[in-house]
Amino acid sequence: MTFFSRGISKLSLLTLLLFIIFPSFSAEEDHSEIHDLMAHLLDPAAEAIWDSAGFVITEEGEFSLEPKNQEEWDKVLYGAKVISESAFLLSRPEISKNRKDWIAVSGLLKVVGDKAFEAAERQDVEELFKVGADLYQVCVACHQTYMTD
Amino acid sequence: MKKIFKIIGISFVLIFGMSTYLSSHHAFTAEFDPNAPINITGKVVKVEWINPHAWVHVEVKEGGKTTVWMVEGGTPNTLIRNGINKKTITPGTVIVVRGYQSKGKLCLPRCIANGRDVTFPDGRKVFMGSSGTGAPRDGSDPRERR
Repeated sequence: MTFFSRGISKLSLLTLLLFIIFPSFSAEEDHSEIHDLMAHLLDPAAEAIWDSAGFVITEEGEFSLEPKNQEEWDKVLYGAKVISESAFLLSRPEISKNRKDWIAVSGLLKVVGDKAFEAAERQDVEELFKVGADLYQVCVACHQTYMTD
Repeated sequence: MKKIFKIIGISFVLIFGMSTYLSSHHAFTAEFDPNAPINITGKVVKVEWINPHAWVHVEVKEGGKTTVWMVEGGTPNTLIRNGINKKTITPGTVIVVRGYQSKGKLCLPRCIANGRDVTFPDGRKVFMGSSGTGAPRDGSDPRERR
């Protein structure tokens, strides 16, 4: 066994021991499903909504971020539907742990997701911009309670 | 023995690093350093009115060097409620932003800060951040409970 592999073995063993000694660290693992759901499902879906409404002002003028063709609108529709359906995923007992506040905020995701979908169907950029702000408020409401540093 | 301490140290870094990453996504402290306050004075060159955060790009000229700072603000709706709109913050306006630098303070790939308040040429100072993001309670946010 080389010095390097011995070091790695010791490192693995001690990392394991530290996880056992400090269960609060390993408790993070309990939330990995939520982390993945947020990072790989909800975040990209929310970005699709946020990036599709608004404007950029420079010295050259004002530029709208609204989708320019049906393909781009389809991405917004998809994002809105993902947000809406995520409410059900987050409300599952194994994730919600039957916490009333959690389930209530998940329900708000359904409401804003549906609003975003309707706005995207109508290609109503102003409404989409407003819904984007509402969506952020729902995110913040949940993070303030359940995502602590 | 030294090796064991070294390994324990590395293990701690790994565990703390992982737990910080997992728990701090989106929070102020994930991206910005509460111990790195900054004042940015310069000309607005670009304003992005997008959710969930508006961004104000400020060109700072110092010692013959020009740097553009990207300053994160609150939601566009929050800014509008506070009296900041696309007519009040336009390219060319010279502003002073008080905020906090991003954790990577080397401006790589760009200089980023979280804006707390902005002072306009007429002396008006307005809160430009968001409440409840975990930013320091520095008196900028009028909604902060004292």
